[in-house]
Amino acid sequence: MSAERITRREMLKRLIIAPVGAAVLTTLEVREAAACQQRYYEPYFVAVLWEGRTRCDSLWRNLTGDVVPILPTVRGATPYDRLYWTGYALGNAPVNVNMRVWARAVDLNGMPLGNGWRAVGQATIQTPPLRWFRVEIPEGHWDEYRIEVRSATPRLVYSRLIGSQGYWKE
Amino acid sequence: MPVRFLRNASELADVSMESPLPVAVTNAKPIPADPLLIATTTVTTTTGRDLMENTNAETPTLDNCGQYRKLVWFYFRAGSATTTYRILARAADLSGLPLGTGWQQLAQATLPGAANEWGRIEIPTTGDGYYDQYRIEVHRTDGANYTLVSKLVGVR
Repeated sequence: MSAERITRREMLKRLIIAPVGAAVLTTLEVREAAACQQRYYEPYFVAVLWEGRTRCDSLWRNLTGDVVPILPTVRGATPYDRLYWTGYALGNAPVNVNMRVWARAVDLNGMPLGNGWRAVGQATIQTPPLRWFRVEIPEGHWDEYRIEVRSATPRLVYSRLIGSQGYWKE
Repeated sequence: MPVRFLRNASELADVSMESPLPVAVTNAKPIPADPLLIATTTVTTTTGRDLMENTNAETPTLDNCGQYRKLVWFYFRAGSATTTYRILARAADLSGLPLGTGWQQLAQATLPGAANEWGRIEIPTTGDGYYDQYRIEVHRTDGANYTLVSKLVGVR
């Protein structure tokens, strides 16, 4: 075995021009080609709609803390295709927080078109303690949203609600 | 002398149309979604009746919508009667006159929801719109007349 002293620059050059084995190429998966054809959502504008902390307890509570069902969490969300709710729950116990999302449309005076809300969805967030979570709300362009949380174990949740506009790309 | 910048943390690239300088946009505003129509409709058994309660088949419910990629129809229905909706669309020339008579039907289905429930329908359901005119018709096939409050939003 012979040794050769080369410079770092020379070593880099050799690495770059090193041939790739044909055997390796033949075993490459071709899934990437199909992946390129799948549509994907690319946001071109995002805005923070709400940010703060919520003290969760056994009541269905708005992110802003209230338990008044008619109050929205955010208003003026019409331009956004989708919303993202990202959060972090304090405490040493595993996170087990129920959430539900409501939405409604308003007229030009800001009055809701009707009573109540549309139930957009609900979920249970279960993570180990001190982990981040993120919830995507894909049903966009509603004027107002109300996001409620509830937890059997009282805990504090820091979170941020983001609205995004984007395109579907091929 | 070309201007160069560090791209992808390790790559030195010339500034060009294909590799523009990365910038952080400040004070940007979202592209607005426009409320185009807010209407209260009494849903009856009359077919061919649009959200404006107009029964003239050639009258659009919405005009000048060519700039919108999609319309989103939000509604609140007061009654539970089975209701059929029909969404029609067409293009117009530069004077605003339809290219021809009649419409292209984009959808026809049963209006989702029960009494005192909200609904949301994207127009068109898949793909992009960019039609100039739309006509949205509703009629019930059973039950009693009820009030339908609608809001149509244009999304660019």
